[in-house]
Amino acid sequence: MIESSERFLVNRKISLHDDARYGPSTLPDVEFEKYAALLFRKSIRSAVFSRTPFIDDFHKRMYDQGENLHSSSNLNFPRFSIPYYSVEYSINLWGGTYFFSFDALFNSEIRMEKRKGKLLGKEGSLIHVLRFKPPAENVLNINLPKEVMVFDVKNMVKVIDYTSNL
Amino acid sequence: MRHNQQLKSIFVYAPIEEVEANLSEIGFQCVGSSTIVADGKFWKKMLYVNKEETISVSEEIGDAYPKDPVITICGSNHTISSIIDRVKN
Repeated sequence: MIESSERFLVNRKISLHDDARYGPSTLPDVEFEKYAALLFRKSIRSAVFSRTPFIDDFHKRMYDQGENLHSSSNLNFPRFSIPYYSVEYSINLWGGTYFFSFDALFNSEIRMEKRKGKLLGKEGSLIHVLRFKPPAENVLNINLPKEVMVFDVKNMVKVIDYTSNL
Repeated sequence: MRHNQQLKSIFVYAPIEEVEANLSEIGFQCVGSSTIVADGKFWKKMLYVNKEETISVSEEIGDAYPKDPVITICGSNHTISSIIDRVKN
């Protein structure tokens, strides 16, 4: 394709997903380390517990210390999960459609903040707050020659799978 | 400048630290990184930029061994050959 003088149209679709696909138990150690201030586990694919109380700002949930957030016997349904962009490139070439897709996990940001609430009192208390930041768009790009036109579709509707809460 | 750019994707046996050092020496700066998952494997993808040239470096994370970073260069022939010479030797 790169060597050809033909022009091609590449479709790119980015959609935001929050369907509990990526829980902390199945993350590689390097990725899990980013959450080490809040979570602990013995090893990959073992149960994950909260190290300290914290607020998951993205899902608007609060977790207490010692809560089981991802059970090793139920790896497909974590209670705490990481949102992600699903990125799909596709190209139509001589009657066939070819796909290249990947998921980009949101980056974590952990801060201490003073929050008020039923459990935190009227005066408020300091608590860890976890925020998820979407990955920068330029990192999601794949390098393409200038002859290729990218037709970009962004679907930022939040996809939520409630079956994990049942 | 952009119309003179070529695409080249290579994998190298050098460790990621060495690749990063080489890119830094020739003026590329890391402007972002992200964890991506493709075919059930976790990768760390980093984007390096120098003016209009871009390079993405991906390395599998987890238990994979050996970890051969994949480098995709969108740049001039000079940049491509310079990087290949540095990381392959």
